[in-house]
Amino acid sequence: MVNPVLLIAVPLALAFAIPVLSLFSSRAAKLVPPIALSFNLVLSLLLLPKVLENPVIVSIGGWQPPFCINLVAGPVGVLFSAIISLAGLLVSVYAVDYIKEGATEKYHTLYLLLLTGATGVVLTGDIFNLFVFFEILCISSYALVAYKGDRAGIESAVKYLIQGAVGSSLLLIGIGLLYGQFGTLNMADIAQHIESVGRISVFVPMVLIITGLGVEAAIFPLNAWLPDAHSSAPSSISAILSGIAIEVGVYAVVRVLFTIFGASSILLFVACVGMLTLLIGELCAFSQNNIKRMLAYSSIGQIGLIVFALAMATSYAVTGGLFQVVSHTLAKALLFLAAGYMIYRTGSLDISALEGIGKTMPLTSLGFAVGAFSLIGLPPFVGFPSKFLIVRAALASGKSLFIVLIGLALLAAVIEGAYFLRVVQVLYFKAGKNNPERKEAPVVALIPIVIFMILIIAIGIYPKLITGVLNSAASELLNRMDYIKSVVG
Amino acid sequence: MSVLHNYAYYAGAFGLIFIGLYVILTKHNLIKVIIGLGILETGVNLFLICVGYTRNGTAPIFSRAGLDAELMVDPVPQALVLTAIVIGVAVLALALSLAIRLYHHYGTLNLREIREQKW
Repeated sequence: MVNPVLLIAVPLALAFAIPVLSLFSSRAAKLVPPIALSFNLVLSLLLLPKVLENPVIVSIGGWQPPFCINLVAGPVGVLFSAIISLAGLLVSVYAVDYIKEGATEKYHTLYLLLLTGATGVVLTGDIFNLFVFFEILCISSYALVAYKGDRAGIESAVKYLIQGAVGSSLLLIGIGLLYGQFGTLNMADIAQHIESVGRISVFVPMVLIITGLGVEAAIFPLNAWLPDAHSSAPSSISAILSGIAIEVGVYAVVRVLFTIFGASSILLFVACVGMLTLLIGELCAFSQNNIKRMLAYSSIGQIGLIVFALAMATSYAVTGGLFQVVSHTLAKALLFLAAGYMIYRTGSLDISALEGIGKTMPLTSLGFAVGAFSLIGLPPFVGFPSKFLIVRAALASGKSLFIVLIGLALLAAVIEGAYFLRVVQVLYFKAGKNNPERKEAPVVALIPIVIFMILIIAIGIYPKLITGVLNSAASELLNRMDYIKSVVG
Repeated sequence: MSVLHNYAYYAGAFGLIFIGLYVILTKHNLIKVIIGLGILETGVNLFLICVGYTRNGTAPIFSRAGLDAELMVDPVPQALVLTAIVIGVAVLALALSLAIRLYHHYGTLNLREIREQKW
């Protein structure tokens, strides 16, 4: 029997072992994150077949669920923890060589803490525990954005920290209001009693919690920090922030909306906000000359699409939304990793500086092109089935509002195609200076890039690899009664 | 009077929360903004304590005979506040250390002059 607690406990313990280990050997300290995350990946994959039949509920401290802090390893939680550890593992391998300057052992400690926080958020069944893990995730990401210590990094970290701290305070007020009414912090127990009180006294904490979590999830009016933070962090951190941190934020929003509040009246509003986020993100990305800033705005757009798909709340749509989470994580992490070494070799963030780099850095450029095509949604890559599922779900829902909105989403996909193809054109079809310094990225960095490419193409060609898991994850999110029954009986 | 007793604490807590938000939104000096964050966090902590407060309550321990569970203070919000205080300390410490680095780079803490990152 594999215990899901280990998914949190092992990386947490190893994170604090890094500073001690680095006193003896800084080479060994570098290898701790890949080891911890491969352990998590193996454990998640072992748990996956088990939780597809029955969710595993772990009560900590030997008390029964409404009174204890519990972990709920359902299909959604384990799916997310598998994605987190997979992307985290590949990015940590990349970072072994990429992070050379500064206090590297602090980087690796914070990196592992960030992923511990993310894993905790997706596995916990207690709303205050969710807040605590969320803070672990947020505080380590504030520090990591400022890791390079340059002007842009510090400024964006301050911006991110102030907005994030206000968001967390709102979340905590919402949790306090819920506790005051229900006298419990267990998510299933709150969900069980949510209908017994008046609408307004549920609505206020819901708005506060959604707003607080929405800051980290970068939903439209709350995302002013994202383009700065994601573009001035080290590239390996941008990959994790774009690929994992904001997805975990979206997970928390959706878990709270669907499971705790069982909200149906607000979902139309959330779908419209998601579509607004998508359009604004893509339009801003289109006008960028800085490659990392462009990728950051494209993340905002993708988050909008994910929120829109999840808010449609049909089983097709939620499956499509979760599929889009997987495809965005893979593609965006790949894009940031590839862009990282391109920027490192050319020394410039401008897209025009990348002219002709397709000849001197062939594999890295191929990685960038694969990631870009996948995000646009071209057929052999993973972005195609996920976007296709969302479009199909919107058409099948039969509501004219969703059909109009999905039309706008397709328009946004055209804009996305325009700016990504522009970069790919610069990479391959513009003759650049033949500079001997622009050599291929080192092998340690190429391994994760190639693995990401293989995963994107493999799942793109054969989506059945993961659709089974996605289907049961979608039904866990939509059937709140089953969730409540499995936790409190 | 009892109404006043029950709600005075909430008024104080939300008063602090709104003062904190006002400071964060209107001040241009980073240190003042961080002080605003501190006030906001204090307000939230006070609010959590209010949720579990019982007037004339005792500590939730059956230390002697005849103690009524109805008159005990709820211990859960206090545990939450302890956690929230620790988190708040971490956030404020990080914010202040970032402020020091920001001052090294820009020579000012006025947020109106620090505007290299924009839309």
